[in-house]
Amino acid sequence: MNPWEESLREALRRKDVPPGFTNRVLARIRELPVREKRPWFRFRAFIARPALRWAAAVLCLAIAGSVAYREQQQRQRQQGELARMQVKQALHIASVKLNAARKMVREVNRGTAQSRL
Amino acid sequence: MNARNKKIRIGALATFFVAMLLGTLSMPAFGQNPRLDIKNLEALSKKASEVVDVNLDGSLLKLASKFMTDEDDREALGIIKNLKGVYVKSFTFEKPGDYSPADVEAIRSQLQAPAWSRIVSARSKHDGENAEIYLMTAADGGSVLGMAIICAEPTELTVVNIVGPVDIDKLSQLEGKMGIPRLGEQTDEPRQKPEGHRAKP
Repeated sequence: MNPWEESLREALRRKDVPPGFTNRVLARIRELPVREKRPWFRFRAFIARPALRWAAAVLCLAIAGSVAYREQQQRQRQQGELARMQVKQALHIASVKLNAARKMVREVNRGTAQSRL
Repeated sequence: MNARNKKIRIGALATFFVAMLLGTLSMPAFGQNPRLDIKNLEALSKKASEVVDVNLDGSLLKLASKFMTDEDDREALGIIKNLKGVYVKSFTFEKPGDYSPADVEAIRSQLQAPAWSRIVSARSKHDGENAEIYLMTAADGGSVLGMAIICAEPTELTVVNIVGPVDIDKLSQLEGKMGIPRLGEQTDEPRQKPEGHRAKP
């Protein structure tokens, strides 16, 4: 073993942690500036609250429900208007044809049709 | 004891059959349906230059009645109030012969007695016009269960089927209302056919 190898082995030898190392590291961490004080981290902490998440979910559901209800109402209104127009058209045709048939019968009864032939 | 049980059983059976018979008789006009099958006319849509196809069942009539709030709609609303369906098929053709008498006969064959009775039938041999009005009344002859109108002209075919208690007089008076003029008021219109073409029935 040459001296270079001997020095490398010495450098890589496992050493025990000196007493109080953990406490010193933790103390240093506490002394560091608190990142969560920044606005973005404060906002993230705010929205991470479970109550707020539930409230947001309920609000989203309410908005989606409201939109769906309004769309359904609008669709029903369109169907109703269409049905109304169809009713008027159908009754008009029925009325016209009914009166046309009656008119034909009246003419026949008067004998006008026969005389014209 | 056995003979008594037998009598009771026979009595119950007789009651059941009488009830069934009465039930059958009280069904609308001996089981015939006031709603006509007019699907066979759908094939005419391809040949027709103008088509009016209205299919309104009970639920659509109810929906429509909710939106009939105008003053003009009041009379129409009164007519459709108790109706169960309104079905109209009207075709206008470019030339005579685009529909066959068999198309009309398929409808007419459904309008058989005793359920249906023809109250009006007018035919003009001269210009080939034919108008028929049929009514279906309840077995007791009281209330109207349905109405059918068939108007066949050389270039026009109209079939109207109204299901439910329809007031014919009110329906007749509807023409000229709802913003639509009476036919008689359109004397100068080119579509109006000359009076001389009306012929004997």
